[in-house]
Amino acid sequence: MTAEKRFHPFAALHILRKTILVYLLPLVQVLFGRNWDALRAALLQALALFALLSLISWAVLHASRWQLDDKGDLLVRWRLGLRLDRTLRVGAVAALTIDRPLLHRFAGASRIKLYPAGQSRPMTLYLTRQDAAWLADRLLPVEQPSFHKPRGGEKLALAVLGANGLSTLALLALAVRQSRSYAPDAQTLAFAHLSQLAAFASRWLPMSTAWLLVLGCALAGASFARSGAQVAHYIVWGTDTQLGSRGGLLRQYEMRLCRRELNYADVRRSPITWALHYCPVFVTAGSCKPELPLFVWREGTDLLQELLPDIALPPDAAPDICRRSLIFFLPSGIPLGLCLLLTAVSRYTLPALTVPLLIPTGVFAALCAAAGVGYRREGVWLRNGQLTLRRQHRFHLHCVCALHPDLCLTAAQSPWAVAAQRTNLTLSFPGRLRFKVRSVAWSELEFM
Amino acid sequence: MTEYELLRTALIIPPRARSVLCFWAALPGVVCAPFIFWQSLHAGILFCLLWAGAVFALRIRTCSFTAALSPRNLTVHAGVAFPVTRQIPRRAVTGVHLLRTPLLWLAGASVLVIRCPGGHLLLPGVPAVQADALAAILTEEPS
Repeated sequence: MTAEKRFHPFAALHILRKTILVYLLPLVQVLFGRNWDALRAALLQALALFALLSLISWAVLHASRWQLDDKGDLLVRWRLGLRLDRTLRVGAVAALTIDRPLLHRFAGASRIKLYPAGQSRPMTLYLTRQDAAWLADRLLPVEQPSFHKPRGGEKLALAVLGANGLSTLALLALAVRQSRSYAPDAQTLAFAHLSQLAAFASRWLPMSTAWLLVLGCALAGASFARSGAQVAHYIVWGTDTQLGSRGGLLRQYEMRLCRRELNYADVRRSPITWALHYCPVFVTAGSCKPELPLFVWREGTDLLQELLPDIALPPDAAPDICRRSLIFFLPSGIPLGLCLLLTAVSRYTLPALTVPLLIPTGVFAALCAAAGVGYRREGVWLRNGQLTLRRQHRFHLHCVCALHPDLCLTAAQSPWAVAAQRTNLTLSFPGRLRFKVRSVAWSELEFM
Repeated sequence: MTEYELLRTALIIPPRARSVLCFWAALPGVVCAPFIFWQSLHAGILFCLLWAGAVFALRIRTCSFTAALSPRNLTVHAGVAFPVTRQIPRRAVTGVHLLRTPLLWLAGASVLVIRCPGGHLLLPGVPAVQADALAAILTEEPS
């Protein structure tokens, strides 16, 4: 049994962060009432509460410990009046992640998340950097790894980032242009034809639509920047027992997935991946569902088989679409119809709105086209004893291979589906991760 | 009851167990109905009709319920208008809960909750002998 170790002080901050609403709610109430005396009293009250909770958090931090026992199982002991002990068996760890955001790096802390097999909630611990690395090496040791360092991936991320930055600038220019005092004639026209509300819409809607687009693109740009920063110093490895990745420029990140507990591998295809000939591959284990891909796979190369030898991808064959449900087109079809109607109406009543309305119309039309791909391509196949499926979600076509043998299946039918001999199939993986394939022919589900 | 017999028999909910389940479902409605009638007669009638409809739907669902054990899986089928088929691998079962209330005891039935990493499966009101045998089979170590 190892010596008992303490948590990093960030654990206390984590507890305090959860109590922030307790101080803020009374302040907001008083602030809206504009009662400054009451605000002062509420501030004092919040300060006293904060001091008390800080004291409690520090007491919890100093009384709590963690250690590894003789078998290597992790024992976590929380103490404050009551005693809460938690044990995590060394063989039951499906995955772990170590996060080191910038602030944590300055303070020498690491956030380690342990995902027990079959459970939906991970265990989060704040430890010092050395302790986190030591614990990770004990729970999921990296033995004789074969490393893969993506070379084109960084260039790819930067190229995508650059393109997105340019489009953001272009849209910013459009928004500035739309923000100018907009067409007195449009206002006059609106006043002539419609009410004051319509005039208001004609004045503000084009501008707000453009700014909304700018905001959307800026967020997408930030997301690409984050992914670009993540790709820096990125490395993927595979051993006989685990898969792992490490990387990050500002926010350092490490993930280790136990091969025995892998749920599924998801190769995502989209118009961008078709253009670049690279597909992101997402791999999950337990309830660990990373938001970034484990690696980027160039189609036709051996990398996928090297890292995931058991993987089987869905065949290129199209599934049976005879009497398939049109539910695929519903989520994008309804808003598309509405946008088309509004565009047609605006052409005669508020021409200033026509161009801004064309933007959401175009987006929904593209989503409808993506739904068409899903309608023709979604399905489930059994290949080499592995269950594989294709599922369209927005612009992404998920090609999934189920890697875990303990897979629960649910087939749910509506009266129309019963008549058409079709069903919605839901695959439930350990850790409560789910995948749903819509309107599959019963004849294709021989394994059920 | 042996595993061989269970593999050859489909589990269904017997009529007395169905009545118990419907009684449970009707009970909250019966308790709430006086308060709704107190507000308005029409609201009370509407509430009773809706609740009776829900209980009737449950009755139909229990009539269509079947569970079948195979060497690898346990498959449950229920529903007429909205049929649902659920399949869990036997080796994925992590725990079994067996519930028997006095009413279910009188009806000779048990409620079985089967837990697995991907979720859980509810087998309401299956005959007690079969439920005990199924629980024993599902919790034994896979060979």
